[in-house]
Amino acid sequence: MYTSLTNRRSFIKKMAIMSAMTAAATMFPGILFAEEQEKNLPKGGNLDWKKAPCRFCGVGCGVLVGIDNGKAVAVKGDPKSPVNKGLCCVKGYHSVMSIYGKDRLTKPLVKKNGQYVETSMKEALDLIASKMKETISEHGKDAVSIYGSGQWTIPDGYVASKLFKGCIGTNNVEANARLCMASAVTGFLTSFGLDEPMGCYEDIDNADVFVLWGNNMAEMHPVLFSRLLDQRLKRGVKIIDFATRTTRTSMAADKSIIFQPQTDLAVANAICYEIINNGWVNKSFVEKHCSFSKGLTDMGYGLEDKYSFNDKPESIDFEAYKTFLQDYTPEKVEKISGVSAKDIKYLASFYGDPNKKVMSLWCMGMNQHTRGTWINNLVYNIHLLTGKISTPGNSPFSLTGQPSACGTVREVGTLTHKLPHGVVTNEEHRKFAAEIWDVPVENIDPKPSYHTVEMFRALDRGDIKFMWIQVTNPMVTMPKLKRYRDACEKEGRFIVVSDIYPTPTTDIADVILPSAMWIEREGMYGNSERRTQYFEKMIEPSGEAMSDTWQIVEVAKRLGYEKQFYYNEATHIEEIYNEYRRHHEGKKHAMAPLEVLKSQPGAQWPYVDGKSTKWRFNSEYDPACSNGEKFHFYGKPDGKAVIWQRPYEPAPEVPDSDYPFWLCTGRVVEHWHTGSMTRRIPVLHKAMPHAYVELNPEQAKDMQIRTGDKVKLTTRRGEIVLPASVNERGVPERNQVFVPFFDENMLINDVTLDAFCPISKQPDYKKCAVKVEKV
Amino acid sequence: MKRLGIISLFIVLFLAFIFVWNLSYQAGQEEAYIPVDKESSITLMPSETGVFERSEYALDYANMPVDENHQRTLKEYYKNRAFHGAPPSIPHPVVDEISMGENKCLKCHQNGGFVDKFQAYAPVTPHPEMINCRQCHVPQQTSSLFKNTNFPQLNAPEVGVNNALPGSPPVIPHQIQMHENCLSCHAGPSAPKEIRVTHPERVNCRQCHVSNNKEVTDIGTFKRATNNAIQ
Repeated sequence: MYTSLTNRRSFIKKMAIMSAMTAAATMFPGILFAEEQEKNLPKGGNLDWKKAPCRFCGVGCGVLVGIDNGKAVAVKGDPKSPVNKGLCCVKGYHSVMSIYGKDRLTKPLVKKNGQYVETSMKEALDLIASKMKETISEHGKDAVSIYGSGQWTIPDGYVASKLFKGCIGTNNVEANARLCMASAVTGFLTSFGLDEPMGCYEDIDNADVFVLWGNNMAEMHPVLFSRLLDQRLKRGVKIIDFATRTTRTSMAADKSIIFQPQTDLAVANAICYEIINNGWVNKSFVEKHCSFSKGLTDMGYGLEDKYSFNDKPESIDFEAYKTFLQDYTPEKVEKISGVSAKDIKYLASFYGDPNKKVMSLWCMGMNQHTRGTWINNLVYNIHLLTGKISTPGNSPFSLTGQPSACGTVREVGTLTHKLPHGVVTNEEHRKFAAEIWDVPVENIDPKPSYHTVEMFRALDRGDIKFMWIQVTNPMVTMPKLKRYRDACEKEGRFIVVSDIYPTPTTDIADVILPSAMWIEREGMYGNSERRTQYFEKMIEPSGEAMSDTWQIVEVAKRLGYEKQFYYNEATHIEEIYNEYRRHHEGKKHAMAPLEVLKSQPGAQWPYVDGKSTKWRFNSEYDPACSNGEKFHFYGKPDGKAVIWQRPYEPAPEVPDSDYPFWLCTGRVVEHWHTGSMTRRIPVLHKAMPHAYVELNPEQAKDMQIRTGDKVKLTTRRGEIVLPASVNERGVPERNQVFVPFFDENMLINDVTLDAFCPISKQPDYKKCAVKVEKV
Repeated sequence: MKRLGIISLFIVLFLAFIFVWNLSYQAGQEEAYIPVDKESSITLMPSETGVFERSEYALDYANMPVDENHQRTLKEYYKNRAFHGAPPSIPHPVVDEISMGENKCLKCHQNGGFVDKFQAYAPVTPHPEMINCRQCHVPQQTSSLFKNTNFPQLNAPEVGVNNALPGSPPVIPHQIQMHENCLSCHAGPSAPKEIRVTHPERVNCRQCHVSNNKEVTDIGTFKRATNNAIQ
């Protein structure tokens, strides 16, 4: 804690110095208190501060956790972290309180005759292993599955993939990041051939204009947003909020532009039209570094079981692309999107201005989209046409929502088609993985099995009998939830849930394993800017809680894979990480050694010759560039990034006379994911105690609905009653409503639609048709 | 010849007229461009709007030296409020009794500044858009009372006791209606010294400081039936 300053004069001096520092250099974390301000503050004693990445969102703030007597009692921002420079958000500051909820799971529970019975960890693990063996021998290896999360640490995801893909030989490995990042992944892969952003957070310090595509950053990525605000104060940058709903971000932005749901596709094309029409194309960049392609259209929406789709890319030329854009003049798009031609031209003018550096930021608005891959492609098109990419400040930047969605799900590859390096369909990749995993190459199935939605459908159909769910809460987050909840409760399904608190997902479990959480164990997360961050074990786990990594290792040993799971309990995290690093050797993806991660607030891959790579594909910064030019998009065989011809197509379920409203779901600043952690933090619960349905204020007036009134929402999937919120946190447009999904007592996903992007298989939680009635 | 010239000039002018008229007629036939502009009679999200107001001054606030001799205290701040959250009375004489306040008050109270006469900094209003100041703020013309009162004055929230953890950001212990703009009271030379923020440049205050008195709507439905075996 800070000692009080008795000398007034020196206090004033220090204040002046500090203000100068804040203004001039960077956001400075040390907050000095005047004597009268800290009079009542609890004295902190001698806390032991240890560094970790924050437990919550994908920003990956560096935090310092204050340990006192073996308990985590305080959190402050890590001033050394280049991510947050000492600042946190309200969730981060109170994050350690989520460890100490009274109903923390501390013992394994096994369901016997409808009742949960406490058992020992050994027995529970024995039971899981025997159940897996039994299921595999009776129904085949593809009847067992694991469903993890972007909150898995890197070792968690790695051992899961190794056990299921390498040893058992099934590709039934998925993670909840499918529900939040899959479109970003396929967007990157189709446009650049390699996943994850080329830029980094430092782009924020260089850009002149920020366009937020359906991204309520002030609430969802508050610490990064404060970096934007900071830049605005210092450099007068512009923040443009391009969204379907008026939010706190709109309030803070210089300009708020509202569009009709799904029409971002049309607006993005209109921006490209304007860029070409006004001669703003960066011709030499496009000629040297871009190619043009089109794919299949009218793909459908994946609403039916066993739906499958494979895009057939076809090369086109610039003229064909130009002709295609004739349908997207600003005036034509105005009619679809509700965005005035003037505003479209306004947006395009920033992208087109060669003297303005533009950063586009997005997250769930673009990813949870039945054309999610397309809209990702389209925003890359804008940046590629103008050459505004891979240079400081010129950056299309896809944000993530979970602490290790990038680090674990995308980089370790805990998705059905992925391997730590490459994909299961590629023989070379299979051989490479099999060698490191020490398994016969035939073990790895060359055919991807189920993506998340299909995996739960398979569980419903009975194709999958056993599912192990770790660090996630699908019984709150799955769209069209009721079908999948009923599926889990069917006879002959065996569900294992590893979690730290009782949730709607532990409700459907046959075995509940208590997990060690975050700083109760050792691990690494990887954030949105390719930064891998390490945290040590700082406190003892609650009760018999065990890390997810070790749970899987224990079961793997029981299944007879001692050879592959040779790890020593005391050093297993280090051993696993070192083994994992071998998959990513080479200039394109090398991971930093563990000593480096331990000594500093993370490192950004590719980590080559002791250096993080801040901007990929730019030869000035990226040692993997090898074509002798300024840029090299080495993810594609021809070294060129792809500009995709992707049309506007409507959403699968649009409002009609029976269901006249759009329903959008999302988050609030106080709660993270399903609230199973943040709702147990008193400060956060008191600030945001329950979910609600936001209505347009004028329409609410017409319908005689006031804040707190009961409102019934009905979709083709079911109905739900929620209290109304009028003109509070956000304002939807007319005929649109918004509901946050964190509240397990008001499961909005019971009524959402399980349509998904055919390319990424990521569901769209932002758009379905709903009827709204006052109860 | 001269006549022919005049005639041909008029013919040219006439043709030009037809041409120009035709162009403008055609243009008139095109669908008019009407920008989609929404009008709203409602203040959007009153609880959210104010936070970012005055943020353009945040760096100035951060750089301002502290005028030790003319600081307000929290005690003084509460002195002219009947209860915590009540509109403050006007502690100084007002010249123009007939005026509703308007820009007269705003001259000093919109952006503050040192007032020589009172040897104090004028407090900044969090709601300068409401200009009928004196519907809520009244001067105190006498110090005597008509009859004594038994009004139970509750203690206002204290400073330094609103943190959940040592060093964690304090929660907002007061209602924010009518004072959504944090910086107007928590920054600048007129801010009471106990509650003057040390980091006004952070702007998005409510990313760290959340309310502790959110009204709860208990609608009584959808209480998850948890597994009693776990509880």
